[in-house]
Amino acid sequence: MTAGIVAEIPWLWAGLTAYMIATLVSMWGVSPRYANVPIIQHKTHEYIVLGCLTLGVLLLAAAIGARWMRIGHGPWISLFELLMSQLWSLGLIFALLYWRLPGLRPSAVIVLPIMWILGSWVLTLEPSASHFPATYYNVWKWSHVGLGKIFLALLLAGVGLAGVMILRTTRLGQNWFRGMPSDMVVDRLAWRFMMLALVFDSLMLIAGAVWAQDAWGRYWAWDSLETSAFLTWLFLAIGLHVRLTYKVPHWLSGVIIIGIFCMAFATYFGAPYISPSAHKGMV
Amino acid sequence: MFNLLRRFASLKITLVGMILLIGGSVAIYGNPIDIPMWVLVIPLVFLAVNLTAAIITNKRINHQPSLLVFHVCLLGLVILAGIGRLTHLDAHTEIPIGTEFNANRILEVREGIWHSGNLDQVKFVQGPYTVEYAPGMQRGLTHSHVMVKDPTGQWVEKIIGDDRVLVIDGYRFYTTHNKGFTTLLTWTPDGGERISGTINMPSYPLFDYKQDNHWTPPGTQQEIKFWLQIDAGLTQDEAWTLDARNSTAVLVVTNNNIRQELREGEQIRLPGGELKFEKLTMWMGYRIFYDPTIQWMFFISVAGVAGLGFYFWQKINLQPWTEETQEELLKESLTEPLNLSLKQPAKAVKPSNQEQPMISNRTSHDLAPLSKGQS
Repeated sequence: MTAGIVAEIPWLWAGLTAYMIATLVSMWGVSPRYANVPIIQHKTHEYIVLGCLTLGVLLLAAAIGARWMRIGHGPWISLFELLMSQLWSLGLIFALLYWRLPGLRPSAVIVLPIMWILGSWVLTLEPSASHFPATYYNVWKWSHVGLGKIFLALLLAGVGLAGVMILRTTRLGQNWFRGMPSDMVVDRLAWRFMMLALVFDSLMLIAGAVWAQDAWGRYWAWDSLETSAFLTWLFLAIGLHVRLTYKVPHWLSGVIIIGIFCMAFATYFGAPYISPSAHKGMV
Repeated sequence: MFNLLRRFASLKITLVGMILLIGGSVAIYGNPIDIPMWVLVIPLVFLAVNLTAAIITNKRINHQPSLLVFHVCLLGLVILAGIGRLTHLDAHTEIPIGTEFNANRILEVREGIWHSGNLDQVKFVQGPYTVEYAPGMQRGLTHSHVMVKDPTGQWVEKIIGDDRVLVIDGYRFYTTHNKGFTTLLTWTPDGGERISGTINMPSYPLFDYKQDNHWTPPGTQQEIKFWLQIDAGLTQDEAWTLDARNSTAVLVVTNNNIRQELREGEQIRLPGGELKFEKLTMWMGYRIFYDPTIQWMFFISVAGVAGLGFYFWQKINLQPWTEETQEELLKESLTEPLNLSLKQPAKAVKPSNQEQPMISNRTSHDLAPLSKGQS
């Protein structure tokens, strides 16, 4: 980073370190130290994971706040800001699910490394100040972005469970996730997250359309990001219909969920930065 | 007829339609202007027919009010989008400060075949405007003053710009990045009647390097070329505000290869008459959008998602989050003997101690064969 140390960087590093500790401890928690033991008796590591996740969320909130004060606007524009903000919201929502749903806790070994893809990525980017376009003052931006964050976090939680179902087709995976409910329950829980994700995705698209109508004079124009977002919604709808129509093996169910997540990931972190769409403020 | 509808209501047909729609969306990706909209319209019509058939014949949909609301709203959304395309209007216009909007001067008009709005009834007058620029020529907020008639017929001032839209009779006027300077000129032909008008220069500051235009006075054959040298306080490295009231300009007039400079209020003699540079002002480019369905689309989509959310909520409340249901426990207990014969012992996780596993880790592979056998 040539720009030197700016206000948010120490907080960002501290937050990512907390996430890293949470990742390592969660991996240790499913490690084969209790090989051949059907139930993991001591769950102390889960409290450490939850504590580190919470700490990471707080530190990332401080990073976002420090940057907000430095450049004068929230994390809406650049990829650096978007990644930092997503790391915060994904961590927050996953921490809530981790706390409330003990049955999914071992899936943290899949969820947290995925978050670390974003964590590694953000560290490679310049934290340079971004311009805040006039159309971003619109209040619908808050609901559009907020709903999108919930949507992506629910997908990520689903991906964690999808990974469990796929890995459980191996002996190693069965050993790692022996503390989790049966695949039937994991599958049901994963698709429950997909259902909720569809609701929040739909709401995000509606809020985005209202914002686009106010800001750019059209509610939908099939720009690259909109098309990509529509494809994600369609993938999700297809996934739910496939599960209704066919008797899908759990591993395939997991593959479908991961496919939907990949589409959403490309929409969030690819489309807005590949094409100069209106979403980037190029108006 | 009902059987035919029931066949077409199949979820497998829905999947075919959705895959066609994916194909259409991929085809249009990044290039919505050049690719014909039929790549989306055909799958959408196909899905709308499938959805209509499903709403009529599928008891899983029409016997569950929340799911019915969602699917009816989804169908309604597609129909409204279609009606919106047939009745919409999309256009641009450029209005100089102090001038009234003129429906005959709209540009790049795209309208649906059923568009029947009253754009010619729309009245407002463009007032002064400002556009803020951050360092690095980053465009900020636009404040455009317009005079509109209130319900009592009185002229009132409104400030619009960016996402603050002027809505009159359903027509929505959006300020755009397209704005610039205009020269108010008066032409007095020899022995003729004086006429006044404006000549808009290209968008500013986008084309600050080529602020030129041309005009041929009526009754003459000679084209007059104009070039405007503007001092609007533009700086690359500092914040500044574009405002006609803080700008000055010299109008360079070229006729028959003779170059003359004019300041505001000055006039020159040209072959066939006199030209006076009355005033420097600015024009604002507006995008005009009309679609009578947008409010309905909003309400119907919110109602649809509410229906979907309520349906999921009911479904979720029926079953525990991370515990097995009675039905699942029963299925698992039924699969247990078969499981032993299907699975290799080496692949199963066997507890080494005597404690019985409290949590099962059986997979669907254990379930599928028995389900078939049972049926």
